[in-house]
Amino acid sequence: MAYALVALGFVLALNAAGAVNFAHGDLVVLGGAVAVFIGAWLGLPSVLLLPLVAITIGVVGILAARVAILPLATRPPEATFVATIALAAIIEQSLTVAMAGAPRTVPALAGSGTVEIAGVMLGRQPVAIVVLGIVLVVAVWFLLERTQTGRRMRAVAADRHMARAVGIPVGRYVTLSLALAGALAGIAGFLLGHQFLVTPTQGSGHMLKAYIAVALGGWGSVPGALLGALGIGLFETFVATRFGDVWASAALYIAVLVVLALRPQGLFGEPAGRRA
Amino acid sequence: MRLTGRLGLFWLVVLVLPPAVALLALPPFGQRMVVLIGIYALMGLGYQLVFGQFGGLNLAQGALFGLGAYGAALAAPLYGPGALVVAILAAALPAALVAVPLLRLQSHYFALATLALASLVNLLAVHAENWTGGANGLAGFATALPRGPVLLSIVWLCLIACVLLYAQVFRGPLGETARLVREAPLVAATLGIDGARWRLVAFVVGGALAGLAGAFSAVLSGVVSPEATGFGGMVLCLTLVVLGGARHPMGAVVGAALAVCLPELLRDLQGAWLLAYAVATLAVVLWAPEGLCGLVDRLRGETVVPVAPPGLPDVLPAVGGPKTLVLEGVGKRFGGVEALSDVSLWLDRGMVLGLIGPNGSGKTTLLNVINGLERADAGLIALDKRRIERLSTAAIARAGIGRTFQSLALAGDSKRADLARAVASGAPFLLLDEPAAGAGDRERHELVDIIRRLRDAGRGVLIVDHDIELLSRVCDRMVCLERGHVIAAGRPVDVRADPRVRASFLGLDGLAA
Repeated sequence: MAYALVALGFVLALNAAGAVNFAHGDLVVLGGAVAVFIGAWLGLPSVLLLPLVAITIGVVGILAARVAILPLATRPPEATFVATIALAAIIEQSLTVAMAGAPRTVPALAGSGTVEIAGVMLGRQPVAIVVLGIVLVVAVWFLLERTQTGRRMRAVAADRHMARAVGIPVGRYVTLSLALAGALAGIAGFLLGHQFLVTPTQGSGHMLKAYIAVALGGWGSVPGALLGALGIGLFETFVATRFGDVWASAALYIAVLVVLALRPQGLFGEPAGRRA
Repeated sequence: MRLTGRLGLFWLVVLVLPPAVALLALPPFGQRMVVLIGIYALMGLGYQLVFGQFGGLNLAQGALFGLGAYGAALAAPLYGPGALVVAILAAALPAALVAVPLLRLQSHYFALATLALASLVNLLAVHAENWTGGANGLAGFATALPRGPVLLSIVWLCLIACVLLYAQVFRGPLGETARLVREAPLVAATLGIDGARWRLVAFVVGGALAGLAGAFSAVLSGVVSPEATGFGGMVLCLTLVVLGGARHPMGAVVGAALAVCLPELLRDLQGAWLLAYAVATLAVVLWAPEGLCGLVDRLRGETVVPVAPPGLPDVLPAVGGPKTLVLEGVGKRFGGVEALSDVSLWLDRGMVLGLIGPNGSGKTTLLNVINGLERADAGLIALDKRRIERLSTAAIARAGIGRTFQSLALAGDSKRADLARAVASGAPFLLLDEPAAGAGDRERHELVDIIRRLRDAGRGVLIVDHDIELLSRVCDRMVCLERGHVIAAGRPVDVRADPRVRASFLGLDGLAA
């Protein structure tokens, strides 16, 4: 389910920016790290900590839009690729530096934070993740399908020139999408931080999973991304229990190559058309 | 192409200076750094081929570098210096193997496919312990291989040769081909350039260079570990190329020099050098997209010599090839909209056919279907007896159909250049999409003249335009489309006199005028 949140944010950012946001995985990690730091600092209960993390990473998403995405809107998508890869490296290296300030204690901090918060959750962690995930997905669906703001966001994603022509302030909605994507990434990072330790280098892994989910589910399709993410989760769990983690990952990558070679429009079609 | 001009004296000196100084004056530690610069520059140069020139976002270059390193480490005890060849193959063969079935992928899928390949390689390096030594890596293989100043000389000789070759090659027509594939893939395809094939070649050659660089790095450090295949190496490669200049022949060298020297200069900051490097890359993407080398060229006053606007020669050589283009019962649907329905027409060489119809009647769609940018759902299209409706755009262009576009795809392009390109491709049949749109009276006269000369040179011209007077002057026959149907065909005077044409098209035209 946490994968689904990562993929959901990824596809929102993708549609808004018209290009892959390679920093998305690092936003997830940043969410986990912020949760660790603020949690250790203020000792907030998770109910308060979670929105705080979401807001913080949402703001980072806005910064990302301002720095690496909006200024490059008129350039080919490759420019945005490179800019967000650089952004990802910046986040990763900043985290490495920040965490190296207290080497070895950070994983332990994440561990202790987990215990504290898990005290509230009392072992119902997986259930809580699934419930929260479903609530967020429904909320995003409601926003996109049932509100004027969501319709405008989709209009910007579908055709930004046309959106501009009918008077939608495109830049503002791109920024908004990135903020939402960032908030989702932060929450996902928070959730994943319970299950696994937070290390700065996880970002590319998260990003890759989301990328695969979106590519398999159909480029730019929100439900496709969710299905893709759930599919990856099931696939990995299934293969991992029978053959081990390594084979699960290997099989996943090979599956990606095969799907791309045989059915490049994704398993469920490509509604967004040819766009990077 | 301006950024790929032949290397000037300035850059030549910059290129030769590091190894010369290193060999004559530097202590072993300094020499080692210069070797490392050479290695990264080789990897980066290979990356420039596919990323800078052909615009393919390859995320496997780091992994191919690692494959080269492992290949060299495994082969060195057996073959000695021959291990370098093994390393090149170790990188190039998997690259080719993966890339061939993925030839047609668009940019983001290409990126994902190469990312999946890279992840597989990394997984293999970590977990195939019998071969790769797992996380510990391999060591103790380098005794049979040259080291020290000899290694430095070999690395830099390879690099200098590759840089010179690169500058030479991309200065010529290949540079223009690459620019078209990168910036205007549709135009490239209509000129018969198979962009995917070029990208494959660039990917494999670039991979071979990465493998060679990986082998050198294995020799230099004496150990190979899975880190060599990781995402970090890929990011380093991408950033150094962007930082230096993605297409400039010296871009990789300058980027590599920075990547090697920055950590030394910023030693006090420890891990933060990569941070500084990433920030610098972002700054370059935003403010100096041509990279540091381009920036240096600009500051040196190396201004671009504007190319004279292309024109057509006074005498157009006659062309051969197929004699007739035939469409029979061609149909095309977009969802519920019938864009073309049962369209049949023919065009001989030495003939000018005008295509008219109101906006949205399917004129441009028809051109797109003929040259393969869209697939017809029904009917056949043939050049003489050869069916072409299933061929790719590039293949159709090579079979003899060129075209121009309504809107221009290249920066600094003009309708004249677009037309000149199509004519120069030598295609016996030309599809011209509104060549007179936005043109003044004088240009219209020139256009009429050009089209007549094309006809006299034995070309068949299919021309779409709203200027019925212009079409009436140059066309031998006219076809009128309405909502995807042919509603009239024949001599211009007859078509213009047709009541349905008058109602649907000329009536509106008259109102507008």
